[in-house]
Amino acid sequence: MLIMRHELLLIAITVILLLVEIFLPGDKKSRVITLAILLMTAVLILGFVPGPSGTLFGGMYQTTALISMLKNILNIGALIVMIQSADWLRKPENKEKISEYYILLLSTLIGMQYMLSSGDFLMFYLGLELATIPLAALAAFERFKEKSAEAGVKFIFSSALSSGILLYGLSMIYGTTGTLYFAEVGPAFTGTPLQVLGFIFFFAGMAFKISLVPFHLWTADVYEGAPVNISSYLSVVSKGAAAFILTILLFTVFSKIALMWSNVLYIIIILTITMGNLFAIRQQNLKRFLAFSSIAQAGFILLGIIGQSQYGMTTVIYFVLVYIFSNLGAFGVVSIISNRTGCETINDYDGLYRTNPRLAMMMMLSLFSLAGIPPVAGFFGKFFLFAAAANHGLYILVLIAIINTIISLYYYLLVIKAMFLNRSDRPIPKFKSDFYTSLGLILCLAGIFAVGIASTIFEAINGLSFGLY
Amino acid sequence: MSAESLILFFIVGAFLVGIALLFSSLVPPTSTNSQKAEAYECGIPTEGITWLQFNVGYYLFAIIFLVFDVETVFIFPWAIMMKSMGMTAFIEIIIFFFVLGVGLLYAWKKGALKWE
Repeated sequence: MLIMRHELLLIAITVILLLVEIFLPGDKKSRVITLAILLMTAVLILGFVPGPSGTLFGGMYQTTALISMLKNILNIGALIVMIQSADWLRKPENKEKISEYYILLLSTLIGMQYMLSSGDFLMFYLGLELATIPLAALAAFERFKEKSAEAGVKFIFSSALSSGILLYGLSMIYGTTGTLYFAEVGPAFTGTPLQVLGFIFFFAGMAFKISLVPFHLWTADVYEGAPVNISSYLSVVSKGAAAFILTILLFTVFSKIALMWSNVLYIIIILTITMGNLFAIRQQNLKRFLAFSSIAQAGFILLGIIGQSQYGMTTVIYFVLVYIFSNLGAFGVVSIISNRTGCETINDYDGLYRTNPRLAMMMMLSLFSLAGIPPVAGFFGKFFLFAAAANHGLYILVLIAIINTIISLYYYLLVIKAMFLNRSDRPIPKFKSDFYTSLGLILCLAGIFAVGIASTIFEAINGLSFGLY
Repeated sequence: MSAESLILFFIVGAFLVGIALLFSSLVPPTSTNSQKAEAYECGIPTEGITWLQFNVGYYLFAIIFLVFDVETVFIFPWAIMMKSMGMTAFIEIIIFFFVLGVGLLYAWKKGALKWE
């Protein structure tokens, strides 16, 4: 039971929230927010308590110290999203659905953790679906807004398609190796044409989830339509979980065809980073802007995977950790301003520094971290990723990535310029943020600085990760 | 197996399916009459437009029914293993029932079981 502690704790608090929703009278519903955040904090802290590793259900479920740590990272992201959603959930039109929001969010988190812990492609697929289906409901959470419903429909269609492709790939892998267990597929996966075809389908399905070019088309529309906090959850926790499991699978199950998948990754990285950046320049809506920036960031994450070493895997995990704090910081500011004023375009942010200096500073630091400017953690995250790829001898790829970093600096600075330099006739009015909004942003701020400065975090991750050779 | 055999596999596969479809359209005798055009063994012919909205209650009931359908599927193997596994199995199924019960209670409280 202790082996499965992360999932069981999450399931327990989900059932508690469901019971609270059933028995709590209607006028006290907003107390659920505090309860859910406290419970999640408890789960997060308990998750850090070291526990046993091992396998369950005949090898279908496995956990190691590394996987436990990945789950803790996802828990951190989910907790910050839960805190940031409080402001939005307090709005009168959402009051009836607070518990449902948290229950669905926790369900997706449970799915992701099962996916990370899977020792079998069947379990992996179950986890993936459990992570995806509630997310579609969450994307369409503002039922009466057309854009939100559209986002939900687009998300469910594109994820159904990608799941279908992924399953088709898995069926080929099963057909050629005769097993679905990771431990047995690995040695049998020698790279026959049918196996390679199966792998390509599998990879395409995963690329949909991580939104890599050319499978990224759903991203901007869904991020724009969905509630801001769900967009941030999609871009950070959901993407992080998919990136983690993809790294693990590429390094273990598909290690024998490493030469092939590193060629595929090479092309996909260049496409993803370049397309993400070029499209982000043209966006006016901040949610779409952050969507394309997150596509570009996904390309950077792959740089660590292509490094193929223990160091490469460490950089992937470290970068996702940094990315959680920076992106949630940026999305947090966007969500507060969108909740209070309904403004979502870059022009609306003109002169934000004059009226709300703290929010503007927070946004600036998050964007610096996303762009990778030295004092903040994002710089170290990107630097290590480049180092991992360079260690593997991929200098041209690193050069292209660095050029793209400079391009990305341009559009991140556009937002900062709007906030600090531009003047506006109708700036966003000054408003006071409540406890939870401040808490969410302070956590992100602390993360942006602490993760960059504390090298012990990097060392701790490095001690647990593994490479290809 | 090499790449050529994979391509050959696709060609032969497509060819076989094509042949089967071709023969089934050429060989059998064709006759059409009004009885044959009816929906196969699916009750009486429909009246009016069939593209109408159904009460969402049907779906809710179907989903809640599905929960208990799956529950029965779980209980059968459990009942067989119960003797050899003893108390552990009993406690586990109680937890399973509890979670399902909470789900049903939620559906009940939200009015999913009310027919309107």
